[in-house]
Amino acid sequence: MTSAPNVVLKARGIRKVFKTGDTELEILHGVDLDLVAGERLALMGPSGAGKSTLLHVLGLLERPTEGTVDVDGRDAWSLTTLERAALRNRHLGFVFQFYHLVAELDAVENVMLPAMIAQSSSEFRRSKAAHLKKARDLLASFGLSERMKHRPTQLSGGERQRVALARALFLDPPLLIADEPTGNLDRDTGEKVLELLFRAQAERSLSLLLVTHDERLAERCGRVLRMEAGRIVGGKLEPTAIAR
Amino acid sequence: MYRVFLSWRFLRRRRTNLIGVFGIFLAVGALILILSIMTGFLEETRRSARGSLSDLILKVPPSEGARRPSDPGPILAAIRADPRVEGASAHLGWMCILTRQDARSIGILTDSQFGEIAGIKLTGVDAIEEQSSTEFLESLDRAGRDKDGKIESPRVRVADLANPFAAPPEYDASVGRPRASVVVGEKVMAYHQLRRGSFITLMTAVPDSTSDTGWSAKKREFVVAGTFRSGENELDLERVYIDREQLARFLAGASEDDPVPSDAILFSEVLVKLKDYAGEAELVREELGASLYKAGLIDESCSLRTWEEFRGTLLGAIENERVLMGIMLSLILVVAGFTIFAILSMMVTEKRRDIGILTALGATPNGVLALFLLIGFWDALIGAISGAVIGTWMAIKIDPFERWLSETFGVQIFNRDVYLFDSIPSVVTPLAVGLIVLGAFVCTLVFAAIPAWRAARLDPVEALRND
Repeated sequence: MTSAPNVVLKARGIRKVFKTGDTELEILHGVDLDLVAGERLALMGPSGAGKSTLLHVLGLLERPTEGTVDVDGRDAWSLTTLERAALRNRHLGFVFQFYHLVAELDAVENVMLPAMIAQSSSEFRRSKAAHLKKARDLLASFGLSERMKHRPTQLSGGERQRVALARALFLDPPLLIADEPTGNLDRDTGEKVLELLFRAQAERSLSLLLVTHDERLAERCGRVLRMEAGRIVGGKLEPTAIAR
Repeated sequence: MYRVFLSWRFLRRRRTNLIGVFGIFLAVGALILILSIMTGFLEETRRSARGSLSDLILKVPPSEGARRPSDPGPILAAIRADPRVEGASAHLGWMCILTRQDARSIGILTDSQFGEIAGIKLTGVDAIEEQSSTEFLESLDRAGRDKDGKIESPRVRVADLANPFAAPPEYDASVGRPRASVVVGEKVMAYHQLRRGSFITLMTAVPDSTSDTGWSAKKREFVVAGTFRSGENELDLERVYIDREQLARFLAGASEDDPVPSDAILFSEVLVKLKDYAGEAELVREELGASLYKAGLIDESCSLRTWEEFRGTLLGAIENERVLMGIMLSLILVVAGFTIFAILSMMVTEKRRDIGILTALGATPNGVLALFLLIGFWDALIGAISGAVIGTWMAIKIDPFERWLSETFGVQIFNRDVYLFDSIPSVVTPLAVGLIVLGAFVCTLVFAAIPAWRAARLDPVEALRND
């Protein structure tokens, strides 16, 4: 199955059924979704609508019961575990509500983590200086010049989320997946993080898939899809040309 | 890259891991130390057990009806004719009761607390030929020396090593009829407070067809010519050497100056020393036994065994103890491994979120498995290597360490009088150290594999929901 050249994410007929004993619970009922390069897409819906499950399926973290997810023109769920892990590493960047930084690493090391996973020890050693410079530049551009050697417990919520954003951007993935990125921050701090997120998305022409409850935040995205009971019930299904 | 980096970082930043490292360190160190000491004991015991025996021992139980020669001469000649034999000597062994008293009081036999009577093994030897087959001469020369080899008690030593059964200089012939001399074990000497020139009384029973009981009692006084130190506690505590012909006279009831009676029992065993024990012992034993039997010099009642077979029970017991100790101490390794299991299991539970994020960032399940296995590997590496170094060092330095402990705490940990070793015997075997370290690695990795496998199977979505 091939996708149009500018489509970075294409999902077709995504169904997800959870089994608990003899009981089957269908969370996603055949969702279709396309995301083109540079597009901002907000996914909205009430709790239990299936947004997070869809996000996990599209983020290649959860296998759908049925349907296909094409990333970089490849049917991700037909790949081997190793190939799919590499696809996640190179093509997807994640930003979570609770930051999910590794407590034992400082800010720079957390940011470099995707490169550590991508490369062998010798490869990483050879390019360590370049990685360090890139990580420091990223953190500096996010206003964290004084926080490079701080560990997550020594950072505020906003700073942690900025480190998480830098980590998501470190390998320049074409697609950024953000799950309630400001959900755990106060309004002002959240706003600053969003500014950084949108700025980075625009500067790098990334595709952004954003799950949020915040209407105002959704309005800042080029396209909004609304979910209810595992189905997309509103919004424009066709991708929009680069919306900024 | 992340597996090595993160595993090392997790190990360093989490102090609980040190418990696991310490457990492995302790287990490996203790195993090496104890096994080295047990190996040392085994080797020391083998050495001392061999010192009192020759390579082969031919047991020839005295028997009235036997058609084999009663004189050891033909057997010794046949054995010495074998080119693989270095020397051979005949022994006559007899159980006796030793006392310093004249033994006329019945009290010494009825009082169980009476300390001046002891059962001993009286061994008749030919002093000259004995030197060709056992360490008899060496054991005489060791007597009265300190641990540095200097003679500190000359008055317990045999005056003339070349003629150990000669009357000692302290013996005054005018005090009575001439007496035969004996050489007593160092412990016998000390226990009965004997010195060179002391008199002892030996009592025993010999077969007597003219007696109603079939036995008749023999009692004779002897003079102590000196002492010997075999290094084997049991021997030094129970053995008394005497000239073989004098023992034959004593048992036959003949006087010390009489000719040996023709019906006297002359020998009960022959000790054979080989030129190449390690390479030929079994072959020579079989062939020599067969040729002696074929020549009619021994019969079915006789047995020819190697010294290791002869001391098999003792050596087997020590070896068994060593193996048993090894197995029991290996349990410490299992406990250490279980500690690693518990710590890593706890870590996997605590690190669920990190496992989820690593997966989201591109880590594979095998990568996560390797990450947690590596933590176990670092535990094993640090614990086993440091344990091996410290354990080996302590095994090498066990003696000064034991002395320091004894002096510091005022408790004698190793009683040198009991074991007759001047120092705690300790032999560090590189192979054993290697196997212990390898065992620590295998044990740790096996125990680490269980939580590591659980981490690898974690659903990343579930892990990321862990808030």
